[in-house]
Amino acid sequence: MTALRRPLALTLILLLILACFFAPFLWIVSNSFKPQLGIFSDVTPISWRTFLPLEPVLDNYRSLFERTNILRALLNTAIVSVGQVTLTLILCAMAAYALTRIKFRGSQVVFVVILLTFLLPVEAMLVPLFQVVSGLGLANSLLGVMIPWIASPFGLFLLKQAFEELPRDLEDAARIDGAGHVRTFFSIILPNVKVPLLTLGLVTFLFSWNSFLWPLVIAQNPDIQLIQVAIAQQGSPTQLPNWGETFAGATVATLPLILLFLVLQKYFTQGMAMSGIKG
Amino acid sequence: MTAIDRQMDAPRAAPRPARNARQRKDTRTAFAFLAPFLILLLVFQYVPLAMMAKNAFMDYSLLNPDAAKFVGMLNFEDMFYFDDARESLAATFLFALIVVLIVIPLGFVLALFLNSTLPARALVRTIIMLPVVTSAVVVATMWNFLLDPSNGLINGVIALFGLPRQPFLTSPNQALIMISVMTAWQQVGFATILFLGGLQGVPKELSEAARIDGATRWQVLWNITVPLLSRTTLFVVVIMTVFSLQAFAPAFLMTDGGPNSSTNLIVYHIYKMAFVMQNAGYASALSLVLLLIVLGISLLQMWLLRAKWNY
Repeated sequence: MTALRRPLALTLILLLILACFFAPFLWIVSNSFKPQLGIFSDVTPISWRTFLPLEPVLDNYRSLFERTNILRALLNTAIVSVGQVTLTLILCAMAAYALTRIKFRGSQVVFVVILLTFLLPVEAMLVPLFQVVSGLGLANSLLGVMIPWIASPFGLFLLKQAFEELPRDLEDAARIDGAGHVRTFFSIILPNVKVPLLTLGLVTFLFSWNSFLWPLVIAQNPDIQLIQVAIAQQGSPTQLPNWGETFAGATVATLPLILLFLVLQKYFTQGMAMSGIKG
Repeated sequence: MTAIDRQMDAPRAAPRPARNARQRKDTRTAFAFLAPFLILLLVFQYVPLAMMAKNAFMDYSLLNPDAAKFVGMLNFEDMFYFDDARESLAATFLFALIVVLIVIPLGFVLALFLNSTLPARALVRTIIMLPVVTSAVVVATMWNFLLDPSNGLINGVIALFGLPRQPFLTSPNQALIMISVMTAWQQVGFATILFLGGLQGVPKELSEAARIDGATRWQVLWNITVPLLSRTTLFVVVIMTVFSLQAFAPAFLMTDGGPNSSTNLIVYHIYKMAFVMQNAGYASALSLVLLLIVLGISLLQMWLLRAKWNY
């Protein structure tokens, strides 16, 4: 390739990648600001007006919030996600502390018991999990939506690894000063693993906010419906009177995560890469 | 131990009670720290696992699980007798295969790009991660409209080239391919990040030495980088396969498993059997099969990755 053709080819490939991955988002978001007829007339032939709302209207958003329960669903999802993140961090940090900082008989067995659950495919557990959670009287409750995922083996491994990297001198000094395990945990260990905690928190939030099949079966009561279930029930293109409202719903459901991702991208990516490290 | 032995041991054992007390206290503390995690793990992982193993041999409905009846191997016999399980598993494996075949080369090339010094890397990384952080529901909803036969964006692009419009999701030949392409589109950013992690672990000296010895870029890539990444590649293949075997949203939101069961993914089939048809015993048997398949893949991965060719 000549010196001139190379950048040109590269630029074209880059533009193609960006178009494939970004254009669908752009199409959905800009069409959420268009009336139905505008969406249809702008798609053939494709031009720049396909991807831009030239006369933006807020009708879709207005009817979305007035006609549907979306606000309630957003609130429910926020409660579940924040609760799940908080409890996951607490439980995983405590368990990781015991496994890395306390010498006790049976720690190997405990670790293997936890390790084994890492291999279980989540969605295959759907039916018995439904029976367990219903049996505990937690069906149709926000607690029931989050509780099965709080003892996360992934979270434990991520934090265990982080705890193991902390130098022992830290706590030895504290031990000499007479600090017990509880104080060592709170004042020595936790302040030194802020980044792993943030990483785990973000991945848990992503998982919780985006989860669908479990909320679909366990939270059928409309009052505790979660956002993904609400979006899923908006209907398909052929039976739908108004595409724009569905687009508005999809935008609203995705925006919080995208914003969080753009701000904390580094930690998100780290967490995603870590979530691959299993087995 | 005889009394005499004990007496003889006594002087040496004297400091022991103190150490034992300390050990016991540590064990108690450790289990206090572990208890909340272990109790939830037991209740929400091990109990369901045991129930699934038992329920696979029962006939019952979720509306009235107490009226369960033991039916022996009947649920498994049904799997062989009727076509649904075989068709569903075949569709699911084909789906996973197409996803992997798209995601692996594309993820690898994108990771090479992100690992280079070329411009616009940060932008590309952000853009390909957008679908990864977007939920399966929103992605499926989005593609439902992108693939619409009359007013969808993709048919709009096809029309631009003067080609005939495609039915996509209502065609028995195209539906499975389209949901596979969509899932690959969503996951490729994740695969890229995993490959990038592997690439950053490859020592630069190797490729630099090869370049000095006169190897072309292509030779370095093919003879050094690719073999060094075989562990990472296997790992990404397994992750993507296990993930795809558990896909649900595309079948639920886009095709209802059709047309002609061509996209009846196994988790969607399990969901329908348990929650719509109220045949929870059969759904448990299907779940057990899925569980064993995924466990088999994970064990195969561990066996292949045993430390031997660790770089």
